[in-house]
Amino acid sequence: MNKKQPLQIIHIPPNPPVPPTLQPTVNVYASLIEPRHANTLIRWLNQIAPLQNLHHLKRIHKRNLEGGKPELSVILCLASESETQSNSMPPDVQEIVNSYNLTPFITKVSKYAALSKEEWQEQCKLWPTSYHPPTYNIDGITGFSEEDAKSVFSFMKSTVELAKSGDHLVVNAAIIVDPLVRQIIASACDEVCSWHMQSNKAKTEACYFKQLEAFTAHADANRIARDISLLSNGSSNNLQKCCTAVSCLNPWLWAQKLMHRSPSYWHPLRHAAIVAIEASAARDRHLFPGSGHNGNSYEIDCTHSSSSVSPAKRQRINLANVKNGGEHDAHTEGSNSIVRPYLCTGYDIYLAWEPCTMCAMALVHQRIRRIFYAFPNTEAGALGSVHRLQGEKSLNHHYAVFRVVLPEEEELK
Amino acid sequence: MESDSLAYMELAIHQAKLALESLEVPVGCVFIKDGKVIASGRNRTTETRNATRHAEMEAIDILMEKWQRDGLSKSEVAENFSKCILYVTCEPCIMCAAALSILGIKEVYYGCANEKFGGCGSILSLHSSYSETLISGEVPQRKGFKCTGGLMTSEAVSLFRTFYEQGNPNAPKPHRPLVQKEVE
Repeated sequence: MNKKQPLQIIHIPPNPPVPPTLQPTVNVYASLIEPRHANTLIRWLNQIAPLQNLHHLKRIHKRNLEGGKPELSVILCLASESETQSNSMPPDVQEIVNSYNLTPFITKVSKYAALSKEEWQEQCKLWPTSYHPPTYNIDGITGFSEEDAKSVFSFMKSTVELAKSGDHLVVNAAIIVDPLVRQIIASACDEVCSWHMQSNKAKTEACYFKQLEAFTAHADANRIARDISLLSNGSSNNLQKCCTAVSCLNPWLWAQKLMHRSPSYWHPLRHAAIVAIEASAARDRHLFPGSGHNGNSYEIDCTHSSSSVSPAKRQRINLANVKNGGEHDAHTEGSNSIVRPYLCTGYDIYLAWEPCTMCAMALVHQRIRRIFYAFPNTEAGALGSVHRLQGEKSLNHHYAVFRVVLPEEEELK
Repeated sequence: MESDSLAYMELAIHQAKLALESLEVPVGCVFIKDGKVIASGRNRTTETRNATRHAEMEAIDILMEKWQRDGLSKSEVAENFSKCILYVTCEPCIMCAAALSILGIKEVYYGCANEKFGGCGSILSLHSSYSETLISGEVPQRKGFKCTGGLMTSEAVSLFRTFYEQGNPNAPKPHRPLVQKEVE
């Protein structure tokens, strides 16, 4: 298909993918009809035998025979799933069959609406269906603009470089980004093995001030990529060979890891995503020191729509916050009036490796909007490999998950 | 033994009450080793603006800091965790259950189930160890832990009820104000 695609961003859906050829089907009665009867028949059938829960199916199937002559067939009604049972056509439909001299046959059609173009193409081999690409309000599920894709690629490259920027071990790295202004909110590496407690704190502090300046400077993705001084320029396939220190790949390994020198501080749970969340929370406290809940803000009731399909919940929201205006406006103005986000609502996180269960759930708690990772984590990954948290319906927040396939990796194949 | 369990859970409930007083989601916990309370924790998500600062994480960090100050090696820390029993007022969420498995904790007692986020049976069962044998001999198996719910459930639930009745001041505002939508 695509001969040479420099970058691929693959959406990892909430449900495990079914091969397009294995989609569930149902049996229907169908029949060839005279084209001149098509309109009348459809009208009748839609009334007496509507295709409930099968709205993705087209009622009419048109085939062009040799010589350009069209051949029409129509779905009459649902048929029994068991092969032996025969007389299950409702009397109304039977009447139509008799009066128009139809010869019903049973055929298989797709049970569910297609979720991807591939599924849809496969469905149409059975019987034509309609396909509506998903319209969730999370950007990227329906595809990325060239500019957005470029930004995603740039941040992912920075993340992978960060993952190998350590002394000699490759670790996982995380960069939290505000996609509206393409601004880095926080970045971190695994701190499971060694963590210089004091110097690290200083580093994080310095980071906030840089952020503050950047708010007015209006950084773009390319500049950020340059900012994170990239020491190494090895390709990412080297990375996958020496990834033993990546905490999310085997979170249980910490106790057995042999260290030649005793690190100043270590913590089995300080995975990159956890550290990045901590840094973003620290930034929040630093930028908005006073904005807790205060007494004089009053609350209004308001229906809360989110990306999840759950019925609209009643949520109390702070009127004062609403009056401050949309975050979008504040950002695009490039002004200093930054609206305080609720946790990481609206932010993206870039991770070199698919996160483990602990990190993936931490990102649910912190309300990350989109997760991008470069390398799957087949043994312990929680975004499709071992678990699939983006598909756990009971959770109160759902992010969209994407795998970014880097070009170097492509060349490997 | 039974009365000991209740006494430990009482301490966890006390932590949850402290959280409630600070306008935090009221969850508390204590870590027990060799019959002694070695750490306690309560939810601090609002104060820290870090939604991962659950009671368990707070207590774990206290232990990590303490044991490193005492100069314990990694294997000693791992051994300590393998002797720890956690009492927590609410079933550990998926994140905390995963963390407890990573640390290799011995046992968990909880109050009420966590039907939205629970990682010890409600949504995922991260406490039940997988018996699958991994291919590489070097890779340690993921660790399970014994988990028992239903200890002082009503006390734990009533704290939640009090919290939600007084309103969660930290609830998110909708991403886009929906007041406009209603006008349409």
